[in-house]
Amino acid sequence: MYPFGKGMARYVPLLLLLIPFALYVVFYFGPSVMTVIYSFTDVKNLPGSTMKFVGLENYHDLFYSGNSGERWRSITNTLIFMFIVTIVQNGVALFVAVLLNQRLRGDYFYRAVFFLPVVLGVAVVALIWGMMFDPMSGPVNMLYDWLFGYKDMFFASFTHAFGYIIFVQIWMYMGYSMLIFLAGLQSVPKDLYEAGYIDGTSKWQSFRHITFPLIAPSFTVNMLLSIIGAMSTFDIILATTDGRFNTRTMAYDVYKETFRGSLDMGLPSALSVVQFLIILVFVVVAVRQTRKREVEY
Amino acid sequence: MVKKISAIVLAGALTLSLAACGSGNKEATGTNGDASKASGQKQVIKILHWKQENINKAMKEINEAFEAKYPEYKIEYTTTGPDDEYKQAQRARLTANDVDILADLSGMRLSPQEWTPGAKVPDWEQWINSGLIADLSDQAFVSKWNANDIEKAGTYKGKVYAIPTGKVAMSGLFYNKEIFEEHGLEVPKTWSEFIQLNETLKSKGITPIGVAGKDVWPLKLPVFALQAKILGGGNQQKWIEGVWKGETAFNDAEAVEVLEKMKTLQDNYMIEGFMGIDYASAPAIFATGKVAMLADGSWDAPTIAMANPDLKFGYFPVPATEDAAKNASFVGKYDVTWYVAEKGPNKEGALKWLEFFSEPENYTTFVKAAGFIPTMDGISTDSDFIDNELTPYLGDFELAYEIMMINRENVGEHLAAEGVHTEYLAPGGEFKTAKELADVQQKEWEAAAPK
Repeated sequence: MYPFGKGMARYVPLLLLLIPFALYVVFYFGPSVMTVIYSFTDVKNLPGSTMKFVGLENYHDLFYSGNSGERWRSITNTLIFMFIVTIVQNGVALFVAVLLNQRLRGDYFYRAVFFLPVVLGVAVVALIWGMMFDPMSGPVNMLYDWLFGYKDMFFASFTHAFGYIIFVQIWMYMGYSMLIFLAGLQSVPKDLYEAGYIDGTSKWQSFRHITFPLIAPSFTVNMLLSIIGAMSTFDIILATTDGRFNTRTMAYDVYKETFRGSLDMGLPSALSVVQFLIILVFVVVAVRQTRKREVEY
Repeated sequence: MVKKISAIVLAGALTLSLAACGSGNKEATGTNGDASKASGQKQVIKILHWKQENINKAMKEINEAFEAKYPEYKIEYTTTGPDDEYKQAQRARLTANDVDILADLSGMRLSPQEWTPGAKVPDWEQWINSGLIADLSDQAFVSKWNANDIEKAGTYKGKVYAIPTGKVAMSGLFYNKEIFEEHGLEVPKTWSEFIQLNETLKSKGITPIGVAGKDVWPLKLPVFALQAKILGGGNQQKWIEGVWKGETAFNDAEAVEVLEKMKTLQDNYMIEGFMGIDYASAPAIFATGKVAMLADGSWDAPTIAMANPDLKFGYFPVPATEDAAKNASFVGKYDVTWYVAEKGPNKEGALKWLEFFSEPENYTTFVKAAGFIPTMDGISTDSDFIDNELTPYLGDFELAYEIMMINRENVGEHLAAEGVHTEYLAPGGEFKTAKELADVQQKEWEAAAPK
C-alpha cells in the first residue's frame, strides 16, 4: 500500500515535497512578503534604487490624494462586482446543474455548451461580446432598437459599462460553477431520495432537506472561488473597457499602478496589501458561514 | 473546530497569492551579455520598438542595408504591442541591460521644473539620472539633425540624449474635399466660420465630424487646438506655469471656454454614438464619406488613403478663436525618439547604427514610410499631404498640451494623462456643464498638491 514504507525510502516523499515547497517559498511566499515590505518604502523599479522606509505614507497617499475619490469608487465597484457575481453566478449555476442532473437527453451536449466560455479565454470572450455589444452595428443594439426603440453605448457608457462587464464575467464563469455543483449533485446517494419518497416528501422538500445540505461543500468551494475570482478580476475589464467609463476595480488598479503607473513600487504594493486584506475579510466570513451548513452523512 | 481553522488557513493561503501579483521584481537581472564577444562572431545590436506596420517595414529595410555595410554586426529588431505593453518592455529590457537602442514616444517630455514642486518625474529622466541612457552630445551625427528639434526633444541639462525622428500634427481635422466642393464650402479660418460650416453641413443632412470616442484619447486632439490658442491668451506655457503657481486655474474663464467649445462640438456636430467608435474603425468611417471631417492626427493620413485610395482629402487646424492668423498653425508632438542604452550589450554598435540612420538617404526611407514631418533639414518626402496640407501650417508649430503639461503625481482621473477628458461631459458623462467639470478638475488638482 505504501511504496515508500521501508527504511530510508520513507523519506523520499518528504524530499519530493521539499522541491515544490522550496519553489513555493522562493516564488510565492517571498514576493508576497516583499510586497508587504515594499509598501512601507519608497523603492523604485530602477537598478540600484535605494530603499527608504516611509512608514504609512503610501497608504496615506492611497486615500488622501487627488485621485483618492477613484480609489473609493474602485473599492465600491469591487464589492458590487463581487456580490452580484457571487450571487447570480452561483444561483444560475445551481439552477442549470439541477436541470442537467435530471438525466435529460443530450445533457452532455448542454454541459459542453455551458462550459465552453470557460475554455475560450478572456481575449476571445471580450472580442465576442465587443462585437455583440457594438453600438453601431452590434446585433444586441439592433435587438434593443427593434424591441424597445432604444440604443445603448454598452462598453462606452458611463452608467452601463460596468453592468455589462458583470454580465460577461458571469456568462464566462457560470459553466465552471455549474460543473462543481453537478459533481456535488452526482455524489448525493440515490437511496436518500428513495427514503424521502417513501416518507412522502415533495420535490421542494427533498431539495431543501436532502440535496441542499449534501451539496453544501460544493457551495463552499463555489462561493470561495467566485469571491476570490470576482475580487481579483482585472483581465476582462482590461480587455473590454480598459478601466474607462467607471469600470475600475481594485485588482485593475493594482495592475495599472504596477505596470503602467510610475516607477514607484511602494504605492502599488500598498494597494495590493489593502486588496489582500479586504479579500481576506470576505473569504473568512464566507467560509465560516457556508461551513456551518455542511453536514456529514 | 480543527476543520474550521484549517478552512480559514486554506482561505488565507488562497488569497495570499493575490498579494504576490502586485509585486514586480525590483532587482535587475544584471547579466551583461558580452560573454559571447568572441572574435569572428557577429555582434548583435538589439533594437526595441513598438508595432507600427509602415515604420516596421522601413526599419527592416534600413537594418538590412546596415548589415550589408557592416557585416560584423547583426541586428535584432524586436517589436511589441504599442502603448502599455511597450512601456513594460522598455522598463524591463532597459533595467536588465538587454537593449541597445530603444524608441520612445513624444520625445523627451518636460521634466519637473523649479516651479513644479512634487511633480511626477518621467521615466526617461529617471533613466538618465541613474546612468542608463547614453550621452550623445559628442557624436558627429547629431549635427545632421535640426538643431531646434534636438534642443526641444532630445536635450536634457545641456546634453543630447535622444534623436527625435519626426513631428506629427495632432490638432487638425481631415476633411473630405469632394463634400466641401460639392456644397461650395471652404476651410474655416475662425471659430464662427467653423460653426457656420458645421451648421451648413448639418442642414444638408451630412454628419459634420467623426471621432473615435471609445478610446477616449482621440477626443483630446481637437482640444489641443483649443488649449494652445485659448489658454494664456495663446501662451499655453504661461497658463501651465500659472496653474502650478496658483495664478491660473482649471476653472478660470479660459479653461472653461476650452471645455465649452469642445462641448458645443460634441453636443451638436459629432457623429451619433461617437463614444462607441473605436480608433481602428474611425478612418473607414471618414474614408467612406459618412462624415465630412475627422478629428485625428496627421499620422493617420496613410491609413485613410489606404481605406479609400480615390478619396481626396485635406487637413486643417481646428480654428479655435476669432483671430484667423492665430488659428493658422498646428499643434503636435515629436514621434519616435531613439535612445541609446549606456549599459547595453553593444553600445558601440548602437552608435554606429544611429550614425547610419542619420545619413539623409536612410532617414528619408524612414520618414517617408512613417509619414512624419522631418526633423532633418533638406529632406524631401515626396508627399503631397505633407507638402500641401501640413507645411502651410507649420510656421508656428507648437507642442500640444499633453507634451507641455507637467502633471502632479496622483492627480485625479479628470486630469490624468495630461488631458482634460471631455468624455465626462453630458450626455455621455455625468457633468451637465463645462463649468461643473472644470470645478472638479480644479478640486482634484488642489487635492493632489504636495503636503
